Amino acid sequence: MAIGPVLVMMAAAMAAPAIAQTPRAPTQESEPAKPSEVGPREGLLPEPHVLRRSIEFTSRVVGSSDRGEAKSGFYPEFSNMVTGAGWISVGPGYRHWFFGDRMLVDGSAAISWRSYKTAQARFELTNLAHSRLAIGSQVRWQDLTQVTYFGEGAVALESNRNEYRMKSTSVVGYSVVRLLRQLAIEGRVGWLGRPELSAPGGTFRRGNMATRDVLPDDPVFTTLRQPSYAYQELLLSLDTRNHRSYPTRGGLYRTGWTRYSDQDEGRFSFRRFEAEGAHFLPMARSHLVLATHGWLVASGANESEIIPFYLLPSLGGHNSLRAYSDFRFHDRNLVVVNAEARVALVTHLDAAAFLDAGNVAPSVGELNFEKTALGIGLRLHTQRATFARFDIAHGQEGWRFFFRTSDPLQLSRLLRRTAAAPFAP
Amino acid sequence: MDRSRAPLTLLPAFVAMYLPFCAAEIRPTIVPPDAPAPSLWVEPIDLEDRDLFYGPWGRERAPRPDDRYILVQHKHSGINPGLTVLDSEGREWSVKQASEEGPVEAPIEVVLSRVLAAVGYHQPPVYYLGSFTLVDDWGTRTVAGGRFRAKVKGLKDRGEWSWQQNPFVGTRPYHGLLAILMLFNSSDIKNSNNTLYEFKSARGLEHWYVARDIGTALGTTGRLAPEKGNPDAFERDRFIAGIRDGYVEFDYHGWHQELVRRRLTPDDVRWAGDLLARLSDRQWSDAFRAGGYEPDIAARFIGALRHRIGQTQQLAIGTSAAGRPQER
Repeated sequence: MAIGPVLVMMAAAMAAPAIAQTPRAPTQESEPAKPSEVGPREGLLPEPHVLRRSIEFTSRVVGSSDRGEAKSGFYPEFSNMVTGAGWISVGPGYRHWFFGDRMLVDGSAAISWRSYKTAQARFELTNLAHSRLAIGSQVRWQDLTQVTYFGEGAVALESNRNEYRMKSTSVVGYSVVRLLRQLAIEGRVGWLGRPELSAPGGTFRRGNMATRDVLPDDPVFTTLRQPSYAYQELLLSLDTRNHRSYPTRGGLYRTGWTRYSDQDEGRFSFRRFEAEGAHFLPMARSHLVLATHGWLVASGANESEIIPFYLLPSLGGHNSLRAYSDFRFHDRNLVVVNAEARVALVTHLDAAAFLDAGNVAPSVGELNFEKTALGIGLRLHTQRATFARFDIAHGQEGWRFFFRTSDPLQLSRLLRRTAAAPFAP
Repeated sequence: MDRSRAPLTLLPAFVAMYLPFCAAEIRPTIVPPDAPAPSLWVEPIDLEDRDLFYGPWGRERAPRPDDRYILVQHKHSGINPGLTVLDSEGREWSVKQASEEGPVEAPIEVVLSRVLAAVGYHQPPVYYLGSFTLVDDWGTRTVAGGRFRAKVKGLKDRGEWSWQQNPFVGTRPYHGLLAILMLFNSSDIKNSNNTLYEFKSARGLEHWYVARDIGTALGTTGRLAPEKGNPDAFERDRFIAGIRDGYVEFDYHGWHQELVRRRLTPDDVRWAGDLLARLSDRQWSDAFRAGGYEPDIAARFIGALRHRIGQTQQLAIGTSAAGRPQER
């Protein structure tokens, strides 16, 4: 057996979205076609035979999971790790549908290149009230061994890089009301158990100092132990993307409000507002796709309240500002825009040119697009999932090279309903 | 973690891929006297008159293209996407749709089902619709169709059966079925694609041994990513590689090669070819029309199949092993 298809298969599985949120929710049913007409869109050049067959095999094995027909049974968990975990994570998952499409039970665990570990379980009643309502619950435990921090503010120096390890458990209950097929309002009520912060650990250490040693006077470290948080979220979203992991048309538009409440003394309580949009416009018979994305996060707290650094909005890395390190900038507010032109070189390989711009600031009025990244890249994909990309980006802090197993605008963080701790772009 | 050991992490993937396909011993099984009578094949005495467009279950059981189908649930198993739907008469259908990558299996499955049924092998009621009207909680719309398989009263799915161990191992129909699958370049000869049906007939209860999910064919053979429904590849690919020690050697690279390696004699293959040779041009065209194929594409497949059938008939007579078990 050739190793190539196996590697392709594994990589593609990494990119497969975790699961659709509700089976009969935003799905793009295929248009009718004759047998000879069904197949992927063509690229500008003929595709090498070995690549095409590897992709076909990959698609056959990985199957489809973003149209609501995710399969019951065991699956490889490749896609459920936060930014900074390293280029690969893997673990077992199992899901089972009950009563047709009406109830889903899902559990998975994974470990990453840098020994980030996570385990989650989810239960969802997916199609209540004629698919207008879904309710569910999710619990997640995670051990993130090397989360990077540079200090607060847009002027934080790259040389201030430090790291911390964070263990946390979060549980959430949620309900989704679908006003239309693609328009949903979601409410979440969750609990983030006391996060444990310690010195960095895990594999492939980078030798950076511990955050606690660099910032011993930070309120997070002057507190004996971190508080537990109760949090509430209210989200409105319109999702018309044809696929979540390799969108070529449609868009995602969402806005949300979140409140974190410190359950000890209330000192670390705060609120957060988000607005985000991504749009994918096919051009030139779909040989070219223009992808645009914008994201604004605004946090607020009363005078007596502090936002702990691990819950501050952060910017930088492979899916936000690509010429900067993961978690490069932290502050109460952030804005980022991404524009990407993707040309189908061959059926399953796109070339991309991109521009990222954004910044963080203590107030929304001070936000700007001062930090920029320009770059080019290649994306290997099936018709519904990007499973490998190589990006080269240049910005004020030099060149960065990425190999990742997901689309930069996949927005996989949206699939995690539990508390976003640490805040990860 | 030592980077030089990274390739070792692939080992479980290799093992995981191969373990499910490790072959069991190939031997016939004995059916308990009180079990329903097993049946794989029935002599097709009216083969030349059989309708290969609507198939053995007829026009009356076919799904109506202008009907509205109510979504029951999405498919949560297998490789291809699909749905379970109800038609306006309350009949339940399992719809296998096309994956978005590569050639589709559903039309091939219908064609092969028609041919197998015509030459005497049991098949469930399957049909092809290129598109259909779906009604779900969000309204009514036209969606891509595929293979429609009806749930029929009196035909109960009793799980899968084993290619390696079943009552028919060693019989002519068993070998003939494998020969026909070879002739169609079917690569997915796996137990998970076999279904044992309990069928209530006038003669009583029967157990039908059915090769069912057989859409990986009409291209090249292979384990990882065989071509499917590709006339260029099918015309180009070899069928019979030769005869060795009295057995036909196939140019087969799909799963479970042990089922056909040094097991099928020229008589077995010629027996299958003789059955297929009795199908008329009209019947062949109807079979491909049933799968939704355009006439020009169908003609190419039919030409290649005819050529292969010709090869079976050129195999030397009298080279088979003696003492074969009786046909059933």
